[in-house]
Amino acid sequence: MLLHYRLLSGLLLCSILTLTACKPPSSPSDSINKASTSPEIVFAISQAPLNLDPRYASDATSERLNRLLYQSLVDFDHHTKPQPNLATWQQLSPLSYRFTLSEQCRLFYYPASAEHKAKARKLTAYDVKATYDSITALSDSPHSAEFSNLKNIVVVNERTVLFYLKAPDRHFPAKLVLGILPAELVKVKHDFAHFPVGSGPLVLLEAKNKWGLQRLDDGQRISLIEVKDPTVRMLKLVHAEVDLIQGDLPPESVRYLQAKPGLTVKTAVGVNFSYLGLNTQDPQLKKLKVRQALAHAIDRQEIINKVMLQHSRLGGAILPPEHYAQRQTLPAYAYDPALAKRLLQQAGVSLPLKLVYKTSTDAQRLRLATIMQAQMRAAGIDLEIRSLDWATFFAEIKQGNFQLYGLTWVGVKTPEIYAQAFGSDNIPPKGFNRGRYQDAELDKLLSTDDWQAVTQRIHQQLPYIPLWYEGQFAAMQKGIENYSPKADGNWDDLATISAYAH
Amino acid sequence: MIKRLISFCTVVFGVLSLTFLLIHLVPGDPVEVMLGESASLADRAVLRAELGLNQSVASQFGLYLSRLAHGDFGLSIHSKTPIVELINTRYPATLKLALLALLIGVGVGVPLGIYAALKAGHWQDLVVTIVSVRLSAMPAFWLGPMLMLIFAVWLGCLPVSGMDSPSSIILPALTLGFGLSAILTRMTRTSLLEVLNDDFIRTARAKGLTERQVILRHALRAALLPIITIVGLQMGSLLAGTVITETIFSWDGIGRLLVESIEKRDYPVTQACVLLVALSYVVVNVLTDLLYRLVDPRIRLGH
Repeated sequence: MLLHYRLLSGLLLCSILTLTACKPPSSPSDSINKASTSPEIVFAISQAPLNLDPRYASDATSERLNRLLYQSLVDFDHHTKPQPNLATWQQLSPLSYRFTLSEQCRLFYYPASAEHKAKARKLTAYDVKATYDSITALSDSPHSAEFSNLKNIVVVNERTVLFYLKAPDRHFPAKLVLGILPAELVKVKHDFAHFPVGSGPLVLLEAKNKWGLQRLDDGQRISLIEVKDPTVRMLKLVHAEVDLIQGDLPPESVRYLQAKPGLTVKTAVGVNFSYLGLNTQDPQLKKLKVRQALAHAIDRQEIINKVMLQHSRLGGAILPPEHYAQRQTLPAYAYDPALAKRLLQQAGVSLPLKLVYKTSTDAQRLRLATIMQAQMRAAGIDLEIRSLDWATFFAEIKQGNFQLYGLTWVGVKTPEIYAQAFGSDNIPPKGFNRGRYQDAELDKLLSTDDWQAVTQRIHQQLPYIPLWYEGQFAAMQKGIENYSPKADGNWDDLATISAYAH
Repeated sequence: MIKRLISFCTVVFGVLSLTFLLIHLVPGDPVEVMLGESASLADRAVLRAELGLNQSVASQFGLYLSRLAHGDFGLSIHSKTPIVELINTRYPATLKLALLALLIGVGVGVPLGIYAALKAGHWQDLVVTIVSVRLSAMPAFWLGPMLMLIFAVWLGCLPVSGMDSPSSIILPALTLGFGLSAILTRMTRTSLLEVLNDDFIRTARAKGLTERQVILRHALRAALLPIITIVGLQMGSLLAGTVITETIFSWDGIGRLLVESIEKRDYPVTQACVLLVALSYVVVNVLTDLLYRLVDPRIRLGH
């Protein structure tokens, strides 16, 4: 084990990279007073950010926006491997890490307020300590539990900080993705949720009816407006009331936008994994043959071809094939209703097998559920669909009050997810093992780093039915440049987007 | 007056207690929504205690009522914003939209209803009836996008949605107003037709009054009671917030706030919104009663 950690430390040392993630303004006053000559870019989003304090943010919108307002110590590369962002790191022992802040790009920007003028100052190791100390002290943060293993943080000097853990954690650096906050504001319990102060490339100037942002290096203004209804979002883009939309649109609307001459539509593969959750404590669903029958009863490729976005692809495991821990393409369960029926009969199920499928009220989810219901009928499965409002639906899942449900894993970065989602010890409310799956052999594999074996075991035992990774898209006016959709749906390109008057 | 006050208090208390009970009965609570699945059981317990959710529903309700009696609506559990502030920004928007929709509904519906009644049995009556039936059958989630397509995308004369310019209110008000006008057209027509056959109308005509005077001074006044009732009821619903229209047009009104608070299980915001809606209904009912008295002397004189 010790050898393993030494090897890991050595690898980490060798992989220390130079920072390229951000470009700070030449001086604070430059950035504060700069006014862009290019037109404001209006971005219509489906859901308003709920909390711009990175210690509390858990919704996708807030997290995407916070990546632009704040900077974190660590970020991820294209293979989802942790990489230095604000700091490089070195594992000193299984229980300690040293993080060294780069000399560049460490300016906190304080927007002007009634009390003071806009100003900026350097981000230091004291800010890192204050941020992570504060999160471990919070009881109402969704992220506190992730840092419960943190013993203490010691500032060595302005650029160096040591993290001590209570127990070894191979994935600890991957957890340091929270935006760093200014220490003095943390101390006075500043309202970061509404008045964020960070060191990211964008700064929030207004958050009333819209979220008015300004890019620090060139003064480019970007406005985020909430437009919940997908059709309206599309019409606003067509009417040129907005410049950019991304995601949350049915595929037929995307095709409509693709045919519009004044618009550009860009698509990309996605990494958010959709699956059919199963209650493995259900008398029928605890039988492997029944789960296999379900996997063979859904024609996933046909669904992808007909009612999903371009670039959607079959899913085999929570982590996509390009993830560093995956490195294998799992064989898909072919659509074969006759085989599914035989498997059900072999399992001693009297047909039709009646199952209840719970889903949210989202129109696209309901549409997919209806298609699966029709496909399963051919395999002798009678699926009843129940759609519930999000909070009720999710509460039912956590309480185990379901047979089947449909959900998507969003923003998963580390292979630890397999232990959290399928480990016998992680049944809610302790973890994410919503299907109440218990498998001693899998538990044994999960305690190793053999992710290939773990994913193969999961794929074979089917504690869930893998569906797909939905493609991503962004649609924009022709004058918008330097913006592309990202696999996890982030908005990082707002740091580089440009608009030309036309 | 005392009777009215008692009934007012009973309604408000009933609404408050029912809402409180129902929202605590549905699955999911704010702690789960706020902390997600990764939170420890200890953290959940601490937050539950901080929010007072570890107490019995009865004592939570008692505490809520005592705060309310002191005019304290509390803070939103999620945004930590004072609820009064949230309502102050949302309710005027709903009020503005409701009043304009009512104006459109009455302004279009009543004259059309009168016209249809006067042309009863003719092709004009048939056209008005068909149009009003069609309009009342069009749900807001369909009519709204259609109006956007026509006025914003094709004609380009109005914004699709939002609250940025003064003209932004026109399309949502039309969406709501058209539905209301359809109901009022049919109600006015039916009500006026009943009155037009009454003896006092014949008498008025026999006195030599012009048809305009007969209709406006005598017939319409007598036909107004059911119309006022419908207007009152519809105004109550409009003030309760029209969730679909507000969502489609990104109109930050009370209806959207209420639905969002239910989704997030933000109990204090839900309670405050429901209280406001109940109060709106009661106030509109009182105003409707007063209008009855103004329009019909028999009610005023207690006959």
